[in-house]
Amino acid sequence: MLQIKNLTKIYDDGTVALKDVSFEVADGELLTVIGLSGSGKSTLLRCINRLIEPTSGEIWWNGVKVSHVSGEELRRVRRKIGMIFQHFNLVDRSSVLTNVLSGRLGYVNPIASILGRFPKEDLERAHANLRRVGIPDKANNRADELSGGQRQRVGIARALMQEPELMLADEPVASLDPALAHSIMRYLQQINRDDGITVICSLHFLDLVQQYGTRAIALNEGRLVYDGLPSGIDDERFKEIYGQEAERIG
Amino acid sequence: MKGSRKKNQPQSAWRRTLRNIAVVVGVFLLYAYAVQVTEIDLRTPLDPTRQETLLNRLRRFGRPDLLALETETQSLNLSLRSPCPEELRGGQISGYGRSLFLAPNCTTTTQDVLTLSGEGFPPNARGIIRWHPPGEEAVARQVAAFRAGLDGRFSVNFTMPDVRVPEGDETQRIEVEEILGQDVTGLSNASQVTINRIIETILMALMASTIGTIIAVPVSFIAARNLMARSGATLAGLMTALAFLPIGGWLGRQLGLTLTTGAERLSAQPIVGTAGLLATAGLFWFVARLYVATQTADAESKKRSAASMWQPASLAALALLALAIFGQLGLPFGEWLRDILGWFGFFGGLIVTLADIARIMLPGILMFIGALIAVSLGSRYGEEINFNVTGTTARLITGAITAVGVGFTAYGVGLFLNWLYQFENLASWTTYPALIIGGATGLLATLIEPRREMPAGLVIYYLMRGTLNTLRSIEPLVLGFVFVVWVGIGPFAGMLALMVHSIADLGKLFSEQVENIAEGPLEAVTATGANRVQTIAFAVIPQIIPPFIAFSFYRWDINVRMSTLIGFVGGGGIGLVLQQNINLLLYRQASVMIIAIAITVAILDYVSSELRNRLI
Repeated sequence: MLQIKNLTKIYDDGTVALKDVSFEVADGELLTVIGLSGSGKSTLLRCINRLIEPTSGEIWWNGVKVSHVSGEELRRVRRKIGMIFQHFNLVDRSSVLTNVLSGRLGYVNPIASILGRFPKEDLERAHANLRRVGIPDKANNRADELSGGQRQRVGIARALMQEPELMLADEPVASLDPALAHSIMRYLQQINRDDGITVICSLHFLDLVQQYGTRAIALNEGRLVYDGLPSGIDDERFKEIYGQEAERIG
Repeated sequence: MKGSRKKNQPQSAWRRTLRNIAVVVGVFLLYAYAVQVTEIDLRTPLDPTRQETLLNRLRRFGRPDLLALETETQSLNLSLRSPCPEELRGGQISGYGRSLFLAPNCTTTTQDVLTLSGEGFPPNARGIIRWHPPGEEAVARQVAAFRAGLDGRFSVNFTMPDVRVPEGDETQRIEVEEILGQDVTGLSNASQVTINRIIETILMALMASTIGTIIAVPVSFIAARNLMARSGATLAGLMTALAFLPIGGWLGRQLGLTLTTGAERLSAQPIVGTAGLLATAGLFWFVARLYVATQTADAESKKRSAASMWQPASLAALALLALAIFGQLGLPFGEWLRDILGWFGFFGGLIVTLADIARIMLPGILMFIGALIAVSLGSRYGEEINFNVTGTTARLITGAITAVGVGFTAYGVGLFLNWLYQFENLASWTTYPALIIGGATGLLATLIEPRREMPAGLVIYYLMRGTLNTLRSIEPLVLGFVFVVWVGIGPFAGMLALMVHSIADLGKLFSEQVENIAEGPLEAVTATGANRVQTIAFAVIPQIIPPFIAFSFYRWDINVRMSTLIGFVGGGGIGLVLQQNINLLLYRQASVMIIAIAITVAILDYVSSELRNRLI
C-alpha cells in the first residue's frame, strides 16, 4: 500500500510542480498517470523514490514514512522500488550485463561491486532477466549498440534485478514507436499480473492508459484532477485534463 | 527608461548614428595606437644587410647536420704577400690539370678585393677557399667558396678577414680545396645527441602527464560543480570538522613518523626486515580473505557492521606497515639489483626511487589521510550534536564550536604567514587574531539557525577552481625557473614544472567532463539503492574514462611541445641543447633538433587525435 498525503513540490526557481496531491495505491494495481508535459508526472514519480526531495507532505509505503527516511534506510527503501525511464538512462559505454547488474547494487557488498565482482546468483539472475525481456544474446554488447526498444528492455531487466515490490515507469514508451510501445507495455502488464508488482506508469496516450491501466490519475499544473477507472475518462474529462483545445488522437 | 525611449524615436536614431561614428573612430584610434606600439615597420625586413644575414642563417638551417660525412679533397696553394708591394701583380699555379689565377696576390687592408679564377675543373666542381695566416700554428680561415660552371671555370671575389697579422716576411698562402667526393659514415654527432635528448624529452613529458593525470583525477571531482553542489553541512558540522582537521593531521603525521622509525629499526637487519615484510603481507592476505568472506556471506546481519570497523582498519594498518618496511628495504635491494642487472639496472633505480617515495612521503600521506578522517568524523559528530538539542542550547553550542573552528583556522593561517614573512612578534599574528576572529564569528554564529545547511561543497569547489586557475595562469616557463632553483638544472626540474601545469590544466579539463556527464544514468543507478561511491563507480566513471584517457594523451603531446621551452630555462630535454646550439651559432646542429621536435610533435599529435576520435 502506497499513500501519498498532501504532497507538494516547489523547485528552487519557484516553479510549483506538485500542489497538495493525495492518493493511495493498493498492492497489485497498475496505476497510470496522465497529464500534459510539465504537469508534474515525472516529479511525482521521482518524489516516491526520493530522487527529488518533496517540499512538504508525506509518503507512506508499507508502513515506512518514505518521505522522511535518510541514509542507509533510504537506500533500503529504494532498492525495493524499481524504476524505468523515458530515455532509458542506461550507461551507454558499459555492457548490457553491467547495466543489468547495476540493479543489484543496493544488495551486494559495496567494495566487491566496485571491483566488478558480483555473486554468482546475481549473474544468473541477470541472464534470466535478459531472457525474460527477450534479449538473451545481447549481454556482452555495449548498451549504445542496441535499438530503442531493446534499450528499454535492458532498463526493465535492470529494474527487475532489484526484486522490486513497486515499479515506477516514467513515460516508458514516449521515445518509442507505437508497435514497440505496446511490446514494452505488455512487459509491464506481465510484471504486474504474474509477479504481483505494483506498477505506477505515466503515459501520454489515452488508449494505452485505457488498454493497460487498472486505474488512472490525472495531473494538471501539479494538481490531481482525476482519480478513477481509465474507462471513466470520456471526452469531457479529457478536455478538463488536457485543456479545451485538445483533440484526442489516440 | 523604456517609455521615454519609445517617445523619442527620431532622437534615438540620431543617437544610434552618433554612437556608431564614435565606435568607428574609437576602433580606428585603437588600431592606430596598436600599430605604433608594436613598431610595425616594413622597411627593416626589406633592408639588404638584414636580408643577407637572415638568408645566411636560413641557408645553414636549411642544411641540417644530420649525417657524418667523410670528404675526399685535394688542394692547391697560392702564396700571398702582405702588405702589397708598389707594383700589383698576379700569381698563378697549375696542378692536377687545374689552373688557378689570383689577382692581386697580395693584400694591404681588409678592404682590398682579391679575385680568384680557375679553369680546367670538372663541371660543377665545388670547393672552399682558405686563408692561412703566417706561422705554423695559425688557424686557417675560410674566406669564400666556389663552384665551377659547366665549362669548368669559376671566378670568386673575396676580402681578407679582419685579423691582426704580425708584420714580417713570413709567407701567407691561399689554399684552394676542391671537394672530390663525400661518403656517409653514419649519424652526425648532432643527430646522436638529438636522439638521446628527444627520448629524454618524450619520457619527461610522459612522466609529467602520468603523475599529472593521477593527481588531476581526484582534484577534478572536487572541482566539478555538479558533484560538489549537492554536499552541504550544518555550521556545527562544518566547524567541528575544521577544529578536528589539525588534530587528525598531527596524529597522522605522528603515526607516519612512528611507522618509519619502527620500520627502520626492524630493517636494520635485512633478514628480519624481509621476514617482517613477508609476515605483514601474509597477515594482510588472511584478513582480506576474512573480510570478503564476512561481507558476502551474510550481508544483512549485525555482525557485518562490527566486522566492518576493525577489519578494514587493520588492513589499512598492515598496508601502511608494509609500505614503511618497503621504504627501508627497497634502498639496499634496489641498489643490489642495479649492480647485478647490468643493462636492466634501471629496474633497481626504479625500486630505489619508489622506496624513497614510500619513506619520505609516508608521514605526509598519513597526515593528509588523518586530516581527511578527522574532517569526516568531525562533520558527523558536529551534526549529531544539533540533532540531540534544540533552541538556545543548540545556538550556543554552534557558536562555541564555530569560535573554536574559526580560531584554529586563523591560527593556522597566522603560522603560514609567519613561515613566509618571519614576524618579530609571533603571538600578534597567531594567538590574538585566533582569539578575536574566533570569538567574533562565534558570536555571529549564534544568530544563525543551527540546522541551516551551509554550502560547504560549493565553498570547496570555488577554492579548488580558484587554485587551479591560478596555477594554470602561471606559465610552465616560470614554473621551470622555480624548479630549476629548487632541484637544479636537468630533466627532473622540467618534469616537475610540466607536472604542476598538467595537474592544473587536466584538473580543469577533467572537471568539465565530469560536469558534462549525462545525468540520466546517475539518477537510474541512484534509484537502485546504490550508495554514493557505487553510483560514481557505475554511472560516472564509465562516462568519463574515455575522455580522461584522450585528454591525458593530448597532454603528453602538449608537454612534449612545452618541454622544448622548459629546456631553455634549464629544464632538461632537447630544449637545453637546442638553446646551447643557437647561442653558439651552430645553426646546422640546431636545425637537426628543430626537425626532430617537429617530427615528434607531429607523430604525437596524430596519435593523440586518433585516440580522441576513437574514444570520445
